[in-house]
Amino acid sequence: MTTTVRGQSTIWSMRGLIWNFARRDLKSRFKGTALGWAWSLVVPLSTLLIYTIVFAVIFRIEPPPLGNGRPGNFTLFLFAGLVVWTVFANGINTGILSLLTTGGLLKKVYFPSYAPVLGSVIAVLAQSAIEVGVLLAIMVVLGNTSWTYLLVLPWAVLFVCFLSGLVHALAVLNVVFRDLSHIISVVLQLLFYLTPIIYSLSFIPEAWQGIPLRRIIGANPLTEFVTAFRNCVYDLTPPGFATWIALAAWTAVAVGFGVLVHRKLGLDLGERL
Amino acid sequence: MSDPGLSFTPSASEALVEEPSITVRNVSKAFRMHTERRDSLKERFIRGRSRGHHTFQALDGVSFTIPRGQTYALIGHNGSGKSTMLKLLAGVLRPDSGDVIADGRISALLELGAGFHGELTGRENIYLNAAILGLTRRETEQAIDRIIDFADIGEFIDAPVKTYSSGMYLRLGFAIAVTVDPQILIIDEIIAVGDEQFQRKCFDYLHSLRRKGTTIVLVSHALGIVEEMCEGAIWLDHGRMRKVGPAREIVRLYLDEVNATEIKLASEAAGADAPDATEEADASPARGGSGEVRVTDLEFVSAAGVVAPVLLTGERATFRLHYEARKPLEDVVFGLGFFTETGINVAGPNSGSGLPPVPVLAGRGTVDFQVERLTLSPGSYGVSTAVVSHSHTFDYIDRGFQLAVRGSAGGEPGLARMFGGWSAGPATVQPESSETSRSLDPPGQQPIRRPSEPATPHPTETAHA
Ligand SMILES: Nc1ncnc2c1ncn2[C@@H]1O[C@H](COP(=O)(O)OP(=O)(O)OP(=O)(O)O)[C@@H](O)[C@H]1O
Ligand SMILES: [Mg+2]
Repeated sequence: MTTTVRGQSTIWSMRGLIWNFARRDLKSRFKGTALGWAWSLVVPLSTLLIYTIVFAVIFRIEPPPLGNGRPGNFTLFLFAGLVVWTVFANGINTGILSLLTTGGLLKKVYFPSYAPVLGSVIAVLAQSAIEVGVLLAIMVVLGNTSWTYLLVLPWAVLFVCFLSGLVHALAVLNVVFRDLSHIISVVLQLLFYLTPIIYSLSFIPEAWQGIPLRRIIGANPLTEFVTAFRNCVYDLTPPGFATWIALAAWTAVAVGFGVLVHRKLGLDLGERL
Repeated sequence: MSDPGLSFTPSASEALVEEPSITVRNVSKAFRMHTERRDSLKERFIRGRSRGHHTFQALDGVSFTIPRGQTYALIGHNGSGKSTMLKLLAGVLRPDSGDVIADGRISALLELGAGFHGELTGRENIYLNAAILGLTRRETEQAIDRIIDFADIGEFIDAPVKTYSSGMYLRLGFAIAVTVDPQILIIDEIIAVGDEQFQRKCFDYLHSLRRKGTTIVLVSHALGIVEEMCEGAIWLDHGRMRKVGPAREIVRLYLDEVNATEIKLASEAAGADAPDATEEADASPARGGSGEVRVTDLEFVSAAGVVAPVLLTGERATFRLHYEARKPLEDVVFGLGFFTETGINVAGPNSGSGLPPVPVLAGRGTVDFQVERLTLSPGSYGVSTAVVSHSHTFDYIDRGFQLAVRGSAGGEPGLARMFGGWSAGPATVQPESSETSRSLDPPGQQPIRRPSEPATPHPTETAHA
């Protein structure tokens, strides 16, 4: 079977379309709201406030010290982890539905199905960019700066690829099994607590009642990403070589998963939607 | 392709097929049936996968080529696979087997509102669609004024498209599809929802694209348009290709078959419940007269000499009145009245007015009224019968019989068909314009029909008139 009518398209040649989808997502997200864009800051900051009260004030979790030697600040410690989590969770939650909401379009004109998915990932990133900016600004004010900030860049490249591959695979699978998005929202809740966001990995006992808890949490790819990011901006210690290998490996797995699902199911969405 | 004169190849005959723009080779496509689809995991768990393999073969081994710069139509009954074929051409679907090869930028208008996102405004949708078609932002900005101009929907361009009417969807969709300079344009049956003015604009534009060498593939049930616009036609029947060839010929073959099927079905139905039908004809329609003679039946006899439920325009037709008389009568006149569904009396032939009277004996008998060429246009007619003598009415049935008339090929408007020949009269020839018009209209393609065309809804050949 050959068909040339779809033309040769690469992610790069589709950038215009991806960007269009991203703009559409951003536009519709805050359409008709009074605060508009401000919501993309208000929501995470209130989450931050609530978690700080619950975990630092009530449960008295002790944060590790800052990279510049000052005593730790739980809010900042949490913020550094929560930013990564927000991008991840928002990316999955909105991305997984992006093919269904674009469905009508895919039935009538052809374009690669990853375009709306990547568009929604970009929209989520754009929203969180403000958050990251606020975090870094606070760090700078507190004098907690180092060359390790530069490592955020390669980290971000890996993280975005990891997220995109995963989201695309889930979005396509969700067209075939519509229950997936509901299952995923439950999984995400569990994953939040299985990732060192409100605690650091060292708080976790090696084993608890025979369950190798720390090993389980450590095996979670998000643990790697959150810890590496926190190393760069909070502890100011560069992530080790093994960490980079692990990040790259997880990214490769996620992208591979995305490509595989795309090849198997993503090319015939026109008749499944 | 740069020379409009050359790209306008005269017909779809094999000799001229040089450079295919679209090649479809042995293409098949099956759909999983909707009713058996397993959308949720629960269904998969509960009912398993085994029964989920019920498929429907929408296309089965279809092959054809469309030469560059020509206009082809897909015709066939509802569900024959026309839209599916267009979706394969547009790349929305992939064939299960076979090849679909096209060279050139394809722009497709598959369904109403194709490619629109309801929440976005018309203008935002233009950007989105242009991006889907691969235009850069700069190119889109250059084209957007032309698109908005063409669509001509006023301030609605900045309203969400979900508030559009069907015609406005069409206008915007068509405007986008044609102004991006496609090399191949694919249009499903949608132009019909545009108003008269926009339809003319569409067809004018399609003609100008044709002259520029754009390959056009369209689906239409308006066979008159197909005959007139297209060089070739592809006839699909239950997913298989019946025939491909010059549009006129294929449309004729298709219509012949549709007519034949209708006649067959109608005569089967008539055979099945004939007694009911006559009883009804006796009881329900308004019936008058003194009753010495009664018309018991009216039969339509086709050119082939057999009783048929359907007659064809332009063919020989016989109307056979069956009557039953209680006593012999002299000076009897039989009459027929033909009425359209809206009640217009189209014709009323009778056996009076100087013709020798038909003698009527006691008992049963028949009277024939024969026309060499049926002049009624295709449609359904109510037929009244009357038996009178001077001013006395023996029997009258008001529209007690139904007549279906069908055409053998493309339609002319009006209640009646006039049969005649056209010929060219003396003309003053302007040297230059005759040159271009000759290159645009290859001789011998459609020599006679042209003058009869103004009746069709779009002024096609105005460019060189
Ligand atoms: N996504 C789908 N899933 C299942 N069956 C489908 C699907 N799309 C089309 N079909 C079936 O395939 C057949 C061909 O459909 P198609 O739309 O191509 O017909 P068509 O020739 O365009 O008819 P029409 O003249 O009514 O537009 C139909 O029987 C239709 O029910
Ligand atoms: Mg159709």
